[in-house]
Amino acid sequence: MSLSLLLCPKCNGPLPESAINRPDLTPCPVCASPLQVEIFPALFRRAAVGRDGEAVLVETESTCFYHPQKKAVLPCEACGRFLCVLCDCELHGKHYCPACLEVGRKKRKIKSLETERTLYDSLALSLAVLPLLMFYLTFITAPAALYMALRYWNAPRSIVHRSKIRLVLAITFASLQIIGWVIAIYFIITKNHG
Amino acid sequence: MAEKEYERLTRARPRARFAVISSGNSSLWLGKDHLLCIDTNGYTENYKRFYFRDIQAFLIRKTPRYKWWSVVTGLLAAGFLLPIAFSTEVWLQYIFGVVGGLFSLIFVINLALGPSSACQLRTAVQLEELPSLNRLRRTRKELDRLRPLLVAAQGALPPEEIFSRVREFPGSETSSASGASDVTSGAVEDSNVPPRII
Repeated sequence: MSLSLLLCPKCNGPLPESAINRPDLTPCPVCASPLQVEIFPALFRRAAVGRDGEAVLVETESTCFYHPQKKAVLPCEACGRFLCVLCDCELHGKHYCPACLEVGRKKRKIKSLETERTLYDSLALSLAVLPLLMFYLTFITAPAALYMALRYWNAPRSIVHRSKIRLVLAITFASLQIIGWVIAIYFIITKNHG
Repeated sequence: MAEKEYERLTRARPRARFAVISSGNSSLWLGKDHLLCIDTNGYTENYKRFYFRDIQAFLIRKTPRYKWWSVVTGLLAAGFLLPIAFSTEVWLQYIFGVVGGLFSLIFVINLALGPSSACQLRTAVQLEELPSLNRLRRTRKELDRLRPLLVAAQGALPPEEIFSRVREFPGSETSSASGASDVTSGAVEDSNVPPRII
């Protein structure tokens, strides 16, 4: 007997029942690749049947903002619009309308919907450190790094815990480079005039 | 001090297998009710969340990479260290010693990390490779850590019930019906198989 929905990652062959939830490795019956398969009850969970909004029978009944012919069942917790079961998007126990969910995702108000972040602290630090290899570039990159570090000081960094050390280092390096340039320009000017 | 939202499970590992200059790294983090996979190129991060209630299976495969790395680095280390015994030039001994020492270090680290593996996580709609779980020992350790969380989110099934449900599963095939051929046929022609993301 084989559970055909679980396939060997190497050969796509069906995995035998004997390979499931074993503490040790079991060879794949097709390619002999040593495998360990751990399955959980979610594998047997049937997909929930899609819900359909209930039609309005009485004229005085509250209707869905997006579907005026459907009965409203609850309000959106962000904007207060009435929603039918079709428009109700549940997220961590809260109910939103699709528009608020989209706005929350775009404006990064709902953290659990975020799929991407730019690491401005790493960018600022690279901008402050990497051009040191060609020092004359720092005339432009040092102010740029300083601007970026200050501009994005309060911007969200990585979703996992991350300190502001990169921003501090970027500001320090960029400031030192700017001071260096100021001193160099001052000496060049005073030497030419003196 | 505020409690951290995520706890690190694995360090960042390159997604590409033989990357010297890596195009991206992947790491795994443990959240309150989900696993977070972070793919980063150093300047941007992409997040994938796998909620405990949705994880259906982990598929772990032992790979031969460990053996190959041991053989290659062992041979290179020996290749650089052995000539030192026959060389009279001090500068040559230094150069060969440093290079041979580096390969020896990689060889020892590879041995210490143990057998390599590839791990896939399966949900109802995706099959995701987890490149950061690339050593068998670490994968098992993290799986031991995750198991109680998944059981708490999904409930536990005794082994005998799991097997009875596997038999009832629409995708399962009886060995009597298909015989040994289903085991040796290789690729499965099943329209119910979810799309594979590799």
